Amino acid sequence: MALAAGESEIEKEQRGEKTPLLSVEEVSKYFGPVKAVDHVSLDIYKGEVIGIIGDNGAGKSTFLSLLVGYYQPDSGRIYYKGQPVHIASPRFARKYLGIEMVFQNLRLAPDLSVADNMFLGEELKLFGVFKNGAKMKQDAMEALKKLNSDLKPDLAVERLSGGEKQIVAIARAVLFNRDIIIMDEPTAAISVNKVEEVLNLIKELKKLGKTVLLVSHRLEDILQVADRIVVFYHGKIRTVLENKDLKVSDLVHAMF
Amino acid sequence: MEAAAPRAQETFGSVVRRIGHTVFGKPGSVRRPLAFLIVAIIISSFVSSDFLKPSNLLALLTSTSFLVMLAVGESFVMLVGMIDLGVESVMEAAGMFVAYLYVFDHYNSIVAMVIGMLFGLGVGALVGFMVTLFRIPSFIVTLGTYWGMAGVALLFNGGNYINPDSVHPARPFVFGGIAQTSFGVSHLIWIALGAVVIGQLVISFTPLGTWIKAAGSDEEAARSVGIRTNLIKILVFMISGFLAVMAGIMITAWESSIYPNTGQGYSLQAIAAVILGGIPFKGGRGTIVGAAIGAIVIGIISDLIVLVGLPALYEYIFVAIILVLAGLQARGGPFVK
Repeated sequence: MALAAGESEIEKEQRGEKTPLLSVEEVSKYFGPVKAVDHVSLDIYKGEVIGIIGDNGAGKSTFLSLLVGYYQPDSGRIYYKGQPVHIASPRFARKYLGIEMVFQNLRLAPDLSVADNMFLGEELKLFGVFKNGAKMKQDAMEALKKLNSDLKPDLAVERLSGGEKQIVAIARAVLFNRDIIIMDEPTAAISVNKVEEVLNLIKELKKLGKTVLLVSHRLEDILQVADRIVVFYHGKIRTVLENKDLKVSDLVHAMF
Repeated sequence: MEAAAPRAQETFGSVVRRIGHTVFGKPGSVRRPLAFLIVAIIISSFVSSDFLKPSNLLALLTSTSFLVMLAVGESFVMLVGMIDLGVESVMEAAGMFVAYLYVFDHYNSIVAMVIGMLFGLGVGALVGFMVTLFRIPSFIVTLGTYWGMAGVALLFNGGNYINPDSVHPARPFVFGGIAQTSFGVSHLIWIALGAVVIGQLVISFTPLGTWIKAAGSDEEAARSVGIRTNLIKILVFMISGFLAVMAGIMITAWESSIYPNTGQGYSLQAIAAVILGGIPFKGGRGTIVGAAIGAIVIGIISDLIVLVGLPALYEYIFVAIILVLAGLQARGGPFVK
């Protein structure tokens, strides 16, 4: 059986039909009478940047919460590389599916160092008991370098600027070689002149072959980095736009 | 000119802070309590020529060992951003309990001690459950253990002290010889040193230590990477309870008697020691070694007052002054935002 499945996958690839990395099929999530996510389907491929837009309450956040296992869908299926999966928890999503969520408030511990934050919960061990601090620092530095950053892994996170904190949160995903990075409003909390840096980071991630899901209210940011743009409206995906010759006004029109 | 420009914008406060950070390290650095310790030692050696005598220093460390034990436990709790007001009462209750089991019920002293330690772990676990499961603030829960365990201490011998002569024939306190000396140094000091070293190793060099600090620094961040912060909270109260019991057994062995109110005032002194040591109320940073040094500074102050011959009430006043200074240094100094 397994062999047969493998063959068909190769066949599909020869025909130019790649299996989506993550495939969401008719997924719904209700909170009482509120249809937060209502029969949503979406295929997500390796190496693409998907912009996700929609008015407040359109279902963007709930949709992403389903992908990282914060909520479980009431109906519908999610496939990972063609296999059905039950994303039981954020931990499961991170460890087994390589899905990392970068929160709007970043969720970094301000008192801990850059390296400690990046490895938090997944520390490298020495003799099974101790933290391998030296190796952690070195790996952290290498991950930061991949994002063209020379932040010192020893620095306490509270001493970093908003943009630098963003780098640390994203470097965590690079460090553990996660495949899918979900970013919730990464440019909302930082100063305008740092926005470009964050967008460049997203481009770097794409170069590294990562898949990025980007939620943002800043439509011009979405237009700058996204390959496809998913528009949510009242819990459903209203349309998926290829990012070619689109203008902000097109997106606004699609949203309302 | 270009390079000098930012200097010119420095305020008096930022200069003070920069010099302060260079000399004393950043907030939470062990250099800060160390500075307090050095000042305390210098003052003490001027006030009394006897102070620096090895015999006096050893006596000082021995009588401070109980506070050091409590401060180590308190550090774990405060690193997570909580507080344990009950350590002194757990210490008293455990001392009374172990002494009662040994003297009146004729338990083997080792067995009595083990039962006492389990009692401390149990109390800690109970506090942890109240704090996590029922979401009662640790201040309130441990105010409960503060009163409750003081009551338990009174239960054992009807409010009276227990000593080896409480029964006939007398049962001398052995307790594994913990009040004896090795290499000229009391076992009490070795035990306290061991607790400090192990505690600091855990905090600095194990993932658990990082998780404890993370839980205090930003609980949501810790939880979002899968750290079970509730388990960590229960664990730190169990550590605190265990070390309080150790302190209770140590003080019983040392004084060769235990009164139900032996530990009065120790909880607040332990908390003061931890703050002096550089762990802020919100937790997240600081060291166990710093807290231990804080405990020794408080020990020196009480020793100094005895050496000078001042009434004991001055100790409280000095500790108060030191605490205000410690609070100021913890937030970076009087000129810092």
